[in-house]
Formats: sequence, C-alpha cells, structure tokens
Amino acid sequence: MIKITNLEKFYRTEEVETIALNKLSMHVDTGEFVAIMGPSGCGKSTLLNILGMLDDPDEGSYVFNDIEVAHFNERKRADLRKHNIGFVFQSFNLIDELTVFENVELPLIYTGVSASERVKRVEEVLDKMQIMHRRNHYPQQLSGGQQQRVAIARAVVNKPKLILADEPTGNLDSSNGNDVMELLTDLNEQGTTIIMVTHSEHDARYSHRIIRLLDGQTVMENIMV
Amino acid sequence: MFKNYLKIAWRNVYKNKTLSLIHILGLTIGITVCMMIFIFIMNEFSVDNFHTNKQRIYRVMRNTNAIKGSIPYLSGPYATALLSDFPADIKRAVRVEASQGLITFDDKSFAEKKLYIVDNDFFQLFTFPLILGNPASVLQDPSSVVLTETAAKKYFGSANAAMGKVLTLDKKQQFKVSGVAKDVPVNSHLEFDIVVPIANYVNDDGYKRWINNRLYTYILLDEKTNKDNLEAKLPQFMENHMGKDMARFGTKFSLSLTALPDVYFEKVSSFDNVKHGDKTVVYIFISIAVLILLIACINFTNLSTIRAVERSKEVGLRKVLGALKNHLVLQFIGESILLTVISCALSIGLLLILMPWYRELLGYQLSVSWNAGPIYLFLVGVILVIGFLAGSYPAFFLSAFSPIQALKGKLRLGKGGAFFRQALVVVQFSISLLLIIGTTVIMNQMRFVKNQELGYTKEQTIIVPIDNDEIYNHRQVFKKELEANSNIAAVSLMSGEPGGYHDVHSFNVEGQNEIFKAHTEFADFEFVKTLGLKIVAGRDLSPQFSTDSTDAALINETAAKRLGLTPEQALGKLVKNTVRDDKPRRVVGVIKDYNFLSLKEGMDALVISPSDDRRVAVIRLKPGNLKASVQAVKQIYGSVAPAYPLDFSFLDQKFDTTYKTDIRQQTMLTIFSGLAIFIACLGLFGLASFTAVKRTKEIGVRKVLGSSVANILLLLSKDLLKPVFVATFIAIPLGYYFMQAWLQNFAYRTPLHWWIFAFATLLTFAIALITVSFKSLKAALVNPVRSLRSE
Repeated sequence: MIKITNLEKFYRTEEVETIALNKLSMHVDTGEFVAIMGPSGCGKSTLLNILGMLDDPDEGSYVFNDIEVAHFNERKRADLRKHNIGFVFQSFNLIDELTVFENVELPLIYTGVSASERVKRVEEVLDKMQIMHRRNHYPQQLSGGQQQRVAIARAVVNKPKLILADEPTGNLDSSNGNDVMELLTDLNEQGTTIIMVTHSEHDARYSHRIIRLLDGQTVMENIMV
Repeated sequence: MFKNYLKIAWRNVYKNKTLSLIHILGLTIGITVCMMIFIFIMNEFSVDNFHTNKQRIYRVMRNTNAIKGSIPYLSGPYATALLSDFPADIKRAVRVEASQGLITFDDKSFAEKKLYIVDNDFFQLFTFPLILGNPASVLQDPSSVVLTETAAKKYFGSANAAMGKVLTLDKKQQFKVSGVAKDVPVNSHLEFDIVVPIANYVNDDGYKRWINNRLYTYILLDEKTNKDNLEAKLPQFMENHMGKDMARFGTKFSLSLTALPDVYFEKVSSFDNVKHGDKTVVYIFISIAVLILLIACINFTNLSTIRAVERSKEVGLRKVLGALKNHLVLQFIGESILLTVISCALSIGLLLILMPWYRELLGYQLSVSWNAGPIYLFLVGVILVIGFLAGSYPAFFLSAFSPIQALKGKLRLGKGGAFFRQALVVVQFSISLLLIIGTTVIMNQMRFVKNQELGYTKEQTIIVPIDNDEIYNHRQVFKKELEANSNIAAVSLMSGEPGGYHDVHSFNVEGQNEIFKAHTEFADFEFVKTLGLKIVAGRDLSPQFSTDSTDAALINETAAKRLGLTPEQALGKLVKNTVRDDKPRRVVGVIKDYNFLSLKEGMDALVISPSDDRRVAVIRLKPGNLKASVQAVKQIYGSVAPAYPLDFSFLDQKFDTTYKTDIRQQTMLTIFSGLAIFIACLGLFGLASFTAVKRTKEIGVRKVLGSSVANILLLLSKDLLKPVFVATFIAIPLGYYFMQAWLQNFAYRTPLHWWIFAFATLLTFAIALITVSFKSLKAALVNPVRSLRSE
C-alpha cells in the first residue's frame, strides 16, 4: 500500500538547517499494523505528516496505492487524503464548538455525502464505539477516553483504507489507553491498515511490526509474533 | 455544509461573549451612525425633488457689484416684464412674497408666520397638491385664500369644513377659503401655511417700483428653451428696464437663474429666508460616516483575525479532514456576514430608539421614511461590503496556513501580518485623533466668538420686531410708554439690530470720485445710547439739533478708514445715500466699530442716519428684576397692539441663532468623535486581550525570573501604544490643515494653539492607555505557575 524510497525532509530557519528525514525508505502492506518508535526529534511526526499527505517531502518518492504522490499539489493531496486516510491524534483534536455527532459528521461533509446517509453512517460508527448516548454532548463534557473514541469514530467514519495514529494513548490513563488499543486492533482485524507513532512499548506490542527511527533513519525493524 | 458553518459561527459568537460583544457593538455603532447620516443626506438631496416641473423651474437671482453673493429678492415688475419680454422662453413667472399676518376667524386669531403672497398660477407652477380646489382656479379670485390641511384644521376642524369660510387678515381684509393644500413636505425649500393672491397688492407703490427688495420670482421655461441662452439675454433686459437707475446709483445689477433643485444648496447672501442646506455640512457628514465605518471595519478585521487565530486548531482539523482553501474562505466570510447581519439588525433597533433624539439634534423633521427602499438597499450594501471586506483578510490569511502548523496551534501571525494590523490601528487612531482635534478647535472657536468684545451692550436687551400694522402705526406710543416705565433703561427703533438687517447702499461722498458702498442703519436718536456704542469723534445724533433728522449721519471707524480719513477728518464731510436721500447729510460723529454683522462676516463700513425704516425695537432693561421688566414690555405691547401676541428675543441669545449651524456641527462632531474613539478603543481592547493571551508564557517566564508587575505592564502597553504614537504624526498635520481651512469661515478666529493638539493627543493616549492597561494589568497579575502550566 505504501512504499517510500530515499525520503528526505529538511527544516530551515534563517541560520540552521535541520534534517528531519534522511534518505528514509520503508514500505507498509495493506492490512498491516505498524508501530513507529524512536526518541523525541527522530522524525516520527514528520514521517507521519508526510504519510498523511499533510506535508510534502523535499526529496525521494512516496507511492500510495501505486500512485506517486510526492509532488502532488495541495488540492490533489486533500482529495486523496479525505477519501483514504483517517487521523487519530494524541490530543484528540476535536472541535470544541461542535457536538460529538457533528465532529464525526465533519469528514462526510467534506467528501460530499448526502445528509441522510451521513446520519446513518455517523450513528453506525458511534454505536460501534459505544458513545451513542453522548452524541449531543460537546467534547469538553467528555472524559479523555471518550474523547479519543470520538476521534477514532471520526477517523473511521469515512471507511478509510489507512489510519494514522499519533500517540493515540499519550493523554490517557492505562485503562482507557488499553480500550483505545483494542479498538484499533479490532479495526485492523477488519482490514484497515494502521500506522501508529508511539513512545509506549506496551502499545507497540499490539502491532505486527515495529519500525525504530533515529535521526531520520530506520535503525531497526522488529517483527512481532 | 452551509448549515454547519452557520452553526459553528453562531456557537463561536456565543462562546466568546466578550469578544463577540466588542465585535458586534463596534460594528453596530458604526452602522447606526452611517444610517443616521445616510438618512440625513438622502433628506438633504431630496429637497424639491417632488415638483413635477423641477427641471424647468428657475429662481431669478439678482447680483450686484456691491456685495458678494446673489440676492434672491426682486421687486414686483420683474415677473411681468420677463413674461412680456420673453414670451417664447418663459411660460410662467410666479412671484412669491414671504409675509406674515394676523388671521382671525370668529373668536380665534393666530399670528401666522408663514403667509405667502403669490401669483395665481402658484399651484400650477409648483407641485403642492391640493386636497380641495382646482390648481388652475384656486387663486383666481383676489379674495380667495388657500390653507394647508393643518391650518384648515386649526381654524375649522377639518379641510372640508374650511371651504367657503371667510377669514380676516390683519383685521381688515376678508378672504374666502377656496382650497386646501396638503401640508408642505419637510423637503421643500418653500414653506407656507396660508397662501393669498398677489392681485390684492400689485397696485401698491412698493410693487410698482423697480428698485425694491421684496419677493422671490420663479419662472417656468419652455421645454425647448436653453437656460444659458436665456441668461445671455438678461443683461440687455436689465439695461432696458433698469439702465437709468443703475447709472444713477452707480450699481451694476445682473440677473441669473438658479435651477429649482439647486436652490436649497445655493450659497446666498444673508436674508434669504427660504430653507437652505449647506453642502459643506453634507460633505463633513459624509466624511464622518466614511471614517467611522472605516474604524468599525478595521476593528472587525482585526478582531476577526484574532479570533481566527484562536481557532487555528479548528482550521487545521478542517484541512486534515479534507477542507479546501475555498471552503475555509467561504466559511470565514460567511461568519463575518453573519456578524454584520446581526449588527445591522441591532442598528435598525438602535436607530428606531434614537430617531426622536436625532431629529432634535438636526433641528428638523426628516422626511425620509423608515421603510423607504434605499435604506434597505443601503443595509444590504453595508452587509456585503463589510462582510466581504472585513471578512476577507482573516479568511485568506487563515486558510493559507499549513494544516500541521495550524493543528499545533503554532499559528504565528507573521511579521507582515503584524505590520498590517498595526497599520490598521494607526489608521483608526489617526481618524479618532483627527476628530478630537476638530471638535476641540470648533469648541474653542465658538467660545472665542462668544466671548468676543462685540462693541455694544448685549446683556439685558430685548428685540421686539415691528412686524404688523398695529405696532408699526403705534410705534411712537410704544416707545414713549416704554421710556416712561421705570424698568426700562432705553428704547430705540431701528432698521436692524446688531446681527440683523443692514442693507448695502451706494453713497456719494464729498471729495471722493468713486461711489462708496456701505451698510446702512436707519434709526432714531436713541440708537447709540440704547446699544451702548462709543463715539470716537464728534457727537451723537440728537433732537436738540432740529436739522439732524434730515441733515445728519454717523459713520463707523471702518467707514472713515475706507474713505482714507481719520475720524476727526471725517467730521463735517457730506455723504449722500443715492437710494434713499435727495440731499446729502453731514457726518456729525464717528462711532467706534461694533459688530453689526455676524462675526463670520467681519467688520464693514456703516452709515447710520435717522431716515425712516423701522423694523425692530431694541429695548434695554434696567438691571435687576428681569421678569418684571419683560412683563412690563409685554403689557405695553399688549396695550398698543392688542391683537398680536408679543414675539420677542434677547439680543445675547441671538448668538445662538446666528451660529446655529456651527453649534449644531459642534454637537454632532463631539458625539461622532466620541463614538469614533470608543469604537477604536473597543478594537484596542480586543488587541490587548489577544496580546495578553498570546504572551501568557512570556509573562510567566519573566515573572519567574523576577520581573515586577510594573515592568510587565510597561512591556505590554508600550507595544500596544506604538500605533497610537505613530497616529499622532499623521493626525496632527491633517488636523492643522483641515481646521485652518474651517476657520477661514470666520472673520474673527482663534489661532490654532499648540495646546489644542497637545490636549487631543494626551486625551487619545490616556483613553488608549486605560483601555490597554485594563487587560495588561490582568495578565501581569496572574500567578506565573498558572501561565506556565497552560503552555
């Protein structure tokens, strides 16, 4: 599903140039659950942003579902992204002014799904995440675990092929964290490819494969049994 | 999708109440002021537009080389001569004499101030619709009279009841009501309650003389006639009819035509008693409206940007979830339109509440009705323009951010953006400061004028117009009885009180080859004494010299100076009024200059002679019991002219009347500049809150490192006040320039003191500082642990 080759990304300020990704190559197959680990500043988030087409690489190739996307313009990237990729963030990133239902509905609006279909699909996914009873609440009225479940619901409502999770349990206690990992595992078992950035060895154990990064390069790959 | 935008917009408004209030309040005030001004301007430009023939109607104006500006008054013979000399070009010529009179019916009598004496096709020339009566015949009979609906109701209860009734004018002439006209609309330069045919007066001597300032003459041109072509023929017309007179008086008269729609804004000499508007005021108003709206718009943009930054997470997320740039642009513009719509709705409510007060401030009823289409058109325009203009900067600014930056909340308002916002604040405060300078200069000038030594006694002095036959015929009795009263210090009958009527006449002066033009005062022997004037050479006019009434005159210092004489040299010189006198008078005294004209017009030459022309009685009361003195005047007037109610005014209050427009401008400007700075401060307050929030971490770190509250206050306020500082460099020169120009209206003007600018600057700074410190102090006082944790 994903194949990146010699990917490079630099950050420049006026005086300093930092290399975030240094000729990085990797591939992820459809249906895989991959964890990316590494110390702070190793390029995990940059990689995730590029994989999620939120950012473009400076050099190298990124093939997504057999399409070279490394030099797509913003409009094309947005189009590809909204149909194929769901995001889960450490800090949930729900919109405070929208209710649970409306937050989950948002991606469907941007992909042009009809109103009646939206209601059906949002209810379906809320039901699955067991937060249907909270549908008219606002994010700040929910616990962290509930908020992350809403965020996951939002990530999957469009039935994406790939879910990118950036430390999904980072802001949660261990019990809520485990619930979230179970949810992701379920999704993966149902066929969704998952790439997750994490600091937690515990969480990484849910994955099939761990990619360890250091200074913008792959240093090791562990295949989980 | 649109519903989603609307929802989130509304929730944002609701969630952030303070900021929303600032946002909406600023815009609401801005729009309300603009609507007020818009209504006013619409009203001004609608004057006389209701006349069907307005494109072909002209008022005939007379120009002389004696004074600046045109004179609207002609004498009786012009109209008939114009009709007979230009039969192909002039289809109608209607004379309108504004008069007044005592109207009596049964036991009711009213002193009517708006009585028009007109030619009988008045209602055919002008479009003043009749409720009853036929425009073509309603004034045909010389003894007919037309009332307005209000007047008819006043006398007879209803329009229908009025028809055929007989009214008495000035207790002698009988008129039969032949028609009732709709009330004259506010936006008409002519105003009347009662109209009588001129046929009753055309045989009077005054009507037959060519030289006479008496009435307005309106003409209707033929459809094919070109105004300029006709005007070109008028010099010959004047030569034919007035050639001899002009040669005799040494005055050159010429005629010009003013189109009816232009009459209202015409710049004319004093004593044009029809309603006039002032284009300058209109322009000042338009400028203020634009400036205030600009301030409000800038607020709106700045606050929207700030709010948008606070919503960067939302923007980022929307992008991650697939929103394109134009989705976001649309969303933000939509929100700004929503806020504008709310503000417009509030403005309408506010305007409804303020309308009565506004009418009072303007000094007249506005004819523009509320539900007029243009107002709504204006509002839709405001919504679109402000919604788009004010909304587009934040919209484009925000939607351009990369989603990662936005998500991390790292939306830095770039240097360019900061510069732009600061520039906007500079514009706001330049405008506010400019308005404050303007207001201060106007107030200062008004105070200066009010305290100006006028050269005559204006305190405790009453002016009684001699404006009806009864008081005119018994004026000597009136004067004698007043003089006999112990409350009265002095009485003088004259042609014009200071600030009143002083016609310009031509004089032949001994030893001068050229005609000498001077203002005139015709008064009795008590004139100098009553007004408390000072004689600098010679003597006062006096009944002790039997020849004074026919042979003597006084002149003022300026007249002597114009003649190239010292006051002493002027004594004994012969002066002959070419209009009024058959033989010359000798100058027996020179009086010290006093302001007989308004201070706008300055000083001019004046000749005072005891000829006949009595228009007002000026009565100086003895100090002490004002009430009793006024009562005494009332009582004596009542015994002399029992049918007429006494209509008097105080000489020192005349100031307020003379400077009515200026005082009104001052009030308006004060209010509007107050509002302008208020709106600007709302914006500054918003910026201050934003800065305080943005720099929370910095403040925390500084405090941990030992900075004092005062230091932090200084740090925050300094940055915020920088634009205000820059604004002073823009506003002060502009203010100097504009106010210098405004002061040119006045013959006596206060200099533009440096302290006016210092005061305005300090005031602006003080207000801005208070606004800013409020938020800065709050930020500085926060426990640093809290501000650091929030990062």
